[in-house]
Amino acid sequence: MLSVKNINTYYGNIQALKNVSIDVPEGSIVTILGANGAGKTTTMKSIAGLLKPRDGKIEFLGQDVTGKTPDQMLSRGLALVPEGRAILSGMSVLENLEMGAFQRRDKEVKQDLEKVMDRFPILRERRSQLGGTLSGGQQQMLSIARALMSRPKLLLLDEPSMGLAPLIVQDIFRIIQEINADGTTVLLVEQNARQALKIAHHAYVLETGKVVKSGPAQELLHDPSIKEAYLGH
Amino acid sequence: MLAELINPYYLQVLSFILINIILGVSIYITLSTGQLSLGHAGFMGIGAYASAILTLDYHMPLVVGIVVGAILAGIVGLCIGIPTLRLQGVYLAIATLGFGEVIRVLFINLEGLTKGAVGISSIPHIGRELVKGLQDFGFKASMIGLKNNQLISLSVFLLLLIITLLIIAFFIRQTNSRVGRAFAAIKMDERAAEAMGVNITYYKVLAFAQGAMVAGFAGALFAHVTAYISPADFSYHRAVEILIFAIFGGSEVIWGPIFGAAFLTAMPEILREVNEYRYMIYGVLLVVMMAFRPQGLIDTQMIYKLKQRRKKKGVS
Repeated sequence: MLSVKNINTYYGNIQALKNVSIDVPEGSIVTILGANGAGKTTTMKSIAGLLKPRDGKIEFLGQDVTGKTPDQMLSRGLALVPEGRAILSGMSVLENLEMGAFQRRDKEVKQDLEKVMDRFPILRERRSQLGGTLSGGQQQMLSIARALMSRPKLLLLDEPSMGLAPLIVQDIFRIIQEINADGTTVLLVEQNARQALKIAHHAYVLETGKVVKSGPAQELLHDPSIKEAYLGH
Repeated sequence: MLAELINPYYLQVLSFILINIILGVSIYITLSTGQLSLGHAGFMGIGAYASAILTLDYHMPLVVGIVVGAILAGIVGLCIGIPTLRLQGVYLAIATLGFGEVIRVLFINLEGLTKGAVGISSIPHIGRELVKGLQDFGFKASMIGLKNNQLISLSVFLLLLIITLLIIAFFIRQTNSRVGRAFAAIKMDERAAEAMGVNITYYKVLAFAQGAMVAGFAGALFAHVTAYISPADFSYHRAVEILIFAIFGGSEVIWGPIFGAAFLTAMPEILREVNEYRYMIYGVLLVVMMAFRPQGLIDTQMIYKLKQRRKKKGVS
């Protein structure tokens, strides 16, 4: 579904990604692991069109999408849940959700609104509350729900567990699995390596801008060097 | 009875209030995407000069002059908006301030076209043209017991009132549409808006060009109401004055700059002796507002509360 081939992304003169290649097959959950500064978020931003890779190629649904803008990517069915959630704090929960469907002009938006509020009952409860007044976990759910409002084929999640209590992290991972089971392909960036590997089908490990390891998630979960570096004992 | 109430001086003040309200709306549009512009005096000047020159030198009808003036200002806004898109906050303010000064200097130096620092006088007056038109239909001021100059002032005021209401209605509608939502999202968090698939380049340039066009429109009306314009009318002071409408009244909702423009235009007329200290008062006002109520007098919460109260009354 998504195929990233040898992209190099720079911040000014500093090279953040070095020949990164990633494949996301349709229907799967793929996770990208790595320490801080390894280039995980840069990879996500390059895919979503927020950053332009200097060279390399990105293909989505069989089409070359290298250099497309974020709104063009979204209209092709790729939605990003950015790191740090990016809630519109001055808009209500409902308005935030409606913004997720900004590009849609079909009549099923209302129906989808009900659907995502069924999935996240807390959002229905808080629908007229301002986005900025929600707790961290609720904001993360709102951010995911908002991305779902665009009916994405591929959902990019950038560190959805960041700064959340362990119980809520469990919730978020369960929801990610549910979304995937309903037919949305997921690309997940995580620090929480153990959790991510448990739900993912395939995993990539980034170190200083390079893919140093990749393979089926189960294999990596039992790989001694991964255990050493990311999972602890 | 009616004739005594209609005082051309009051009507003149009211007309200036209406023009300033349109200017207040113009800065509101630009600010609604979070872009701070100090170039609105320049856009206003472009509209004013374009319309004055077209009607005076090329004998175009007033309507054509005003519309072309507004569109020209919008096009210039588009040309300024695209390259300055990357600039934010104070950097954009400085760039647009520079633009406004360039425009003013051009007005002074293009003497063949603009008559330089002396300015353009005897520009066709909206009121006189309107009354002339009415007379062609056989309508005379005396028929409703008015003097000619009363009818002129009255017709200017009524025309401006209709135009202002239409502009306000249009932008209220826009604020509640998807365009308005996109503006609000960009103002709150540009990155988030981008992730939601809002084409921020398009909407920011749209807001900037719209603001420029409305300012140009107000400028063109200004030229045909005062019948005299000079480069000094569109200086840095004017840009700050326009911005103050929004800062004083508030830039979160459209009623903010409307109130700001109305109040700040009426105040020096009511308190004549204060007029000389106008810019000093503006300065003090800016400092006080920033310290105590940075969002302006009228903000979202105030409108929300008013609506709630009205709802409650409706129920009981």
